[in-house]
Amino acid sequence: MTMTTEQIQKFVMTYLETTECQIIEKSPSHVTVKLSPQADRDLTNRPYYWGFIERTGAEPETMSFSFIFDPERHQADLDRQTKAESERTSRIAAEGEASNPIETPVNAQPQEDSILGRYFGVVRPLPILGPGRIQREELTYGSPRLKQIFAAAQRSGRCVYLFEDPGQKQRMTLLPAAYEPWLGVCFKVELSCDVKREELHFYGISLLNGKVDEDFNSQLLDKNWMPRVPENIHIEPSRLSLADGRDVLESKLRTKVESYDHSWAEEASERLQDELTLIESYYRDLLEQPDEEQNKAIQEQFESRQGEIRWQYQPRIVVSTVNYGIFHLRSPW
Amino acid sequence: MCPHPPRPAVNSTSPIPVSVEFDHSWFEDLETRLNKGGPWDDWKLFNLAAQAETASLVTSFDEMLCLQHLQNVTPLPHQTETARKVLFEMRGRAILADEVGLGKTIEAGMILKEYFLRGLVRKVLILVPASLVLQWVRELNQKFGIPAVAQKKEYSWQNDIVVASMDTAKRNPHKDILINGEYDMVIVDEAHKLKNKKTTNYQFMLQLRKKYCLLLTATPVQNDLGELFNLINLLKPGQLGGSNDFSANFVVDKRIPKNEGQLKGELAKVMIRNRRGDGELDFTKRIVRNVHVELSDEEKKLYDGVTSFVRDQYQAAGGNLSSMLSLITLQREVCSSRDAVFVTLVNLSKKLPLDSPLRERIWGLVDIIKTIQTNSKAEKTMEIIQGMNEKVIIFTEYRATQEYLMKYFRDRNMTAVPYRGGMNRGKKDWMMDLFRGRTQVMIATEAGGEGINLQFCHQMINFDLPWNPMRVEQRIGRIHRLGQEHDVMIYNLSTQGTIEEHILNLLHEKINMFEMVIGQLDVILERFEKKESLEKSIYKILLESQDDQEIASRVDSLGRSIHSIKNELDNEELSVTDNGSDFKQLLGG
Repeated sequence: MTMTTEQIQKFVMTYLETTECQIIEKSPSHVTVKLSPQADRDLTNRPYYWGFIERTGAEPETMSFSFIFDPERHQADLDRQTKAESERTSRIAAEGEASNPIETPVNAQPQEDSILGRYFGVVRPLPILGPGRIQREELTYGSPRLKQIFAAAQRSGRCVYLFEDPGQKQRMTLLPAAYEPWLGVCFKVELSCDVKREELHFYGISLLNGKVDEDFNSQLLDKNWMPRVPENIHIEPSRLSLADGRDVLESKLRTKVESYDHSWAEEASERLQDELTLIESYYRDLLEQPDEEQNKAIQEQFESRQGEIRWQYQPRIVVSTVNYGIFHLRSPW
Repeated sequence: MCPHPPRPAVNSTSPIPVSVEFDHSWFEDLETRLNKGGPWDDWKLFNLAAQAETASLVTSFDEMLCLQHLQNVTPLPHQTETARKVLFEMRGRAILADEVGLGKTIEAGMILKEYFLRGLVRKVLILVPASLVLQWVRELNQKFGIPAVAQKKEYSWQNDIVVASMDTAKRNPHKDILINGEYDMVIVDEAHKLKNKKTTNYQFMLQLRKKYCLLLTATPVQNDLGELFNLINLLKPGQLGGSNDFSANFVVDKRIPKNEGQLKGELAKVMIRNRRGDGELDFTKRIVRNVHVELSDEEKKLYDGVTSFVRDQYQAAGGNLSSMLSLITLQREVCSSRDAVFVTLVNLSKKLPLDSPLRERIWGLVDIIKTIQTNSKAEKTMEIIQGMNEKVIIFTEYRATQEYLMKYFRDRNMTAVPYRGGMNRGKKDWMMDLFRGRTQVMIATEAGGEGINLQFCHQMINFDLPWNPMRVEQRIGRIHRLGQEHDVMIYNLSTQGTIEEHILNLLHEKINMFEMVIGQLDVILERFEKKESLEKSIYKILLESQDDQEIASRVDSLGRSIHSIKNELDNEELSVTDNGSDFKQLLGG
């Protein structure tokens, strides 16, 4: 799987907004941003700095970045701007006007920081060090920075406890409503031998009545969520324990996985067998040495080689989770 | 990621041929958070996490993911194809035996990246010659975004991806750490050093526990088919049968295979060899011009003075070669420039006792140097450069000559950039950029090592010639490589009536090395140098001969013996060709 430039941009923007980073400048091809403390910890890899801030209680100075989503388009934008800029300055010079030559570029947001504003959109003459420095980076699929943002999201988006936002209507009405608790789990199924394939399955189970939804995500995506119980709504008591829920989901998933075509595993087992036979015939000859010592060494080699082959080919399916949580869906009534 | 599969399932009730394992750690986490009342993560991040997971999902068993992850390298079609074969047909254990210069490192990098992306590989050990460690680290990081580190101290082994020299790794305390660990992948560069199964290198590799394994070598067979057998037994013992089966089934003579068809088939399962001349991998031609330079009278006088000085000293030392190195250097330098000789002479005299009569003789030579006003070679070089009006790289062996040339060109309003081994990486890159963008001329003292890839230039001048043919080949390899679109022009400067003339004669006329098939030279040299290194043979000729005539005739016989090795090799190829297939092609798979 991959991500298009637009998807990457949307992803990164959501991340930056969610972590409350301060967007300084934005265009269809890039974003310039001052990181929030959380994002700075996630992305800049400076644990010593943050340790220092924590111990001394000093005001943190987070780093700023220019993330380029579409390098070619961004370069074209820059070239256009520089050209416009130089034309403008030469025109001004010709007219003999003593006006301030520094102005924000055409498509930039109004600047709060005039010193920062000076550098956007034009090529900097010297690298700036210290707090005003803005690191420029290309965020394309496969770049290390994007991978880091992925990892940050995966780290801080593991486990939730949420309530469906009932919206305005509920607040106005006096009718009581109820929440139905669901356990939602995003499973990752890894089918591997010497090669590998993966699947994601987002399952949900109602802890009230044991109903299972195998596409739980689609129920979640079109709703708004809040972290606390709103007034006027109560939570229906669970009838299933969490462990029950887990067992049901796992057995559902197991049945599904087992129903797949497993010729890949059979083929891998065959390869495994072939390889084992091959080395067995090779070592059988070698093991007929008269020398006891030598025989022992060869036997060891033989066993370690067998181990390597199992390690390489043995088919296996491992199910782990990406993230999970308790979701309170408003009961239909 | 699960490094090892569970023990083979004894559970016979399972309806499918594979075990399914559930990881339950998430459930404990959820319960703990519930008991403590949090902390809970944000819904948006929750959603992003799922998206990120979806985007990096490995959706199919056999699709190359690494291609879209490569940012600073565009693999050539044969490299992609090789990587694909190793991944999906050879199952990650293979010998990559492309000829020199076709990008084995790129192929290995792609394979590693693919396994890395699929989460099939975490711990990696890369064993290379010491001089290539940093180059590997840099290439993996820059071209593939693989966080490899160079092994420096014992604790370096804790890193997931370590590049180390074979010589370090096979020694304790490192050896014990490595053979007690296990590696998802082991890559060995210059793997022909593993051809002999009695060596410590080989025994060490046997003991390493590894899942996937790549062996990189340009010369899988140098002398003997048994070498290939040994290499393959590191990867897949038994692929060619036991050692008796192998000799019985596949070997006529140690260099002549039989049952080629079958052997070829078996080899193709573990080895890939791309060769020049296969499809698009054709290289451009090499055109050689030898330029003879007439020495001025003063230069000739210096040359004769140094030569007789060197010969006298050799005889005085009773023909002991080992103490003669600095004298030989002197003899070589005098062919390059007076500046180079000067430095060595001064150093030599400093080491002598104050009352030594030799001092007088040395200062006599220095006096001759002072009388020299011209440098015939530099003038000739200038002439050539002005005549071509294209980018050109000049190679010399000596720092002093390099500096002299820099100055010589500067005085004549031509800027040149220097390049030498002692420069740090940043400076080297900078010099290359300057050469690419601004100047016509680069003067380099170093040809080996790494990173000087000058495909944009197709003219080179050998201001002086190394006496080791491999070094000449390395020089040419800087510009004559994949991506070079023009025929390559090679100018060799040689001064008339000096040893240089004989060397050039040997390299060019006798060995014809400038136009030889790339990769052939090392095989020939390896066989030749079983007796004595070529460089040493030349030293001896030089020091022992009484006059020019004798030098000429002995160089001649040296050339003949190399020539006969070459013929021998060609004949071997022919004899196999007679049987209906070509040994080289056999390796080509």
